[in-house]
Amino acid sequence: MTTTQSPAWSAELLPDLTTPLARLVLAIGDDELISGHRAQHWTGVAPSLEQDMAFSTIAQDEVNHADTWYSLLVDREAEDARLRIDSLGLGRLPEQYRHAVLCERPPGDFVWTLARHWAYDHADVVRLGALADSSHDDVAGLATKLLREERYHLLHADQWFDRLTGMDRGRAEFGAALRDVLPQALWLFEPIEGEDEIVAEGLLPTASTDLRERWLEGVEAALRGADLAEVLPSQLRPTYDEPGGRRGVHSEDFTLDVWPEMTALHRAHPGAQW
Amino acid sequence: MSTLAIDLDAVRNAAGSVADPELPVVTLGMLGMVHDVKVEDGRVVIELLPTFSGCPATDIMGLDVRAAVGDQVEGIGEIGIRWLFQPVWSTDRITAEGHDQLRSFGIAPPTGGGPVSTLERPNHARSLPVAGAGAPTDRDPDAPPTADVRCPYCDSQDATEDSPFGPTPCRAAWYCQSCSQPFERFKPL
Repeated sequence: MTTTQSPAWSAELLPDLTTPLARLVLAIGDDELISGHRAQHWTGVAPSLEQDMAFSTIAQDEVNHADTWYSLLVDREAEDARLRIDSLGLGRLPEQYRHAVLCERPPGDFVWTLARHWAYDHADVVRLGALADSSHDDVAGLATKLLREERYHLLHADQWFDRLTGMDRGRAEFGAALRDVLPQALWLFEPIEGEDEIVAEGLLPTASTDLRERWLEGVEAALRGADLAEVLPSQLRPTYDEPGGRRGVHSEDFTLDVWPEMTALHRAHPGAQW
Repeated sequence: MSTLAIDLDAVRNAAGSVADPELPVVTLGMLGMVHDVKVEDGRVVIELLPTFSGCPATDIMGLDVRAAVGDQVEGIGEIGIRWLFQPVWSTDRITAEGHDQLRSFGIAPPTGGGPVSTLERPNHARSLPVAGAGAPTDRDPDAPPTADVRCPYCDSQDATEDSPFGPTPCRAAWYCQSCSQPFERFKPL
């Protein structure tokens, strides 16, 4: 369970981060926030104008999806709601973030980005599909809505999957990227801290490891269909004995790269508002 | 303050008349964003449904509704703005007038099916039917995305999608082969 002290500049603005709802929201919201930050890398430098718009829009979508998830933890009608939501996104120490390490990895080349995009968005849609049946009304409503928005991301990812696997050079490079991405993508399903309680309350109706099976079913079928099954990792079901991102253990790609840049303004000017 | 003095229809009309800051030809009413207006503990609460989550205009819309209701409704006191996640907003809530206005602005309205045919909708999707009369309700969310998209300039169906991602989260980039005009499409959601 989280024992880390929140930073002094935001401690008074942060809600209790240890409630079942907070633990669930941080896992999902942080995945989206950090994915959005990495997607925005392509703004201005993507291989084509269409892909520039695609990843710029995906970045904008994911950061705002995170914002919306965080809003479930604050009084949205309060005058300082914006400040409190921003504090959740930007006012935590690196070890208080709960996203999977895959999300914090640098964008790599465009093929690597597309491999992560494909693996992540399939996982996100599986998770949202389960959350649409959450016992928490706002979680269920939000998941239902975001599922419709994410369909545009998934369509984009699947179109690139078909395009790349349909050509020799694309298959080779995309396959190599997937070999790197897929073992890390399995950690999107590392159980959330205290997940038994979150599942028992129906907040998350399906356990993370069961969501992993649903994800694997789709991913394996797509790869077999593309005759690329050899890129699947030999170990498809990690035991998650060592703590990963869901328990606050991150790589330097986050602690020395994403986090310092993402939070620089917030740390320099606590309480700053746009 | 007497709560009985507040005309809730006037509140709803004032909120519904607010223009979308990014698409000023359509109002929040036409977008189907005003869910309910009510009096709670002596203050008026306006319940709004957010559209696309990535829309940066959302916060501005709340401020504009507060200002419009404050200006237009007599005897109004404290105003609360409440954004709801239930019921879930969808483009099915955009009225027929909203569709006409979008078209006049060079944007194809969100007819003709959702983005991906391979994904099932959650079986308990909580969209409500559209409140206004005459609104389009016959959209098949699982139909192919290219169905029934017409160029807003020449009404031709000979149009192709350039990119499902356009200048804002709610719009895709399209091109009309018939009149050689690029146009935008409001994405079905």
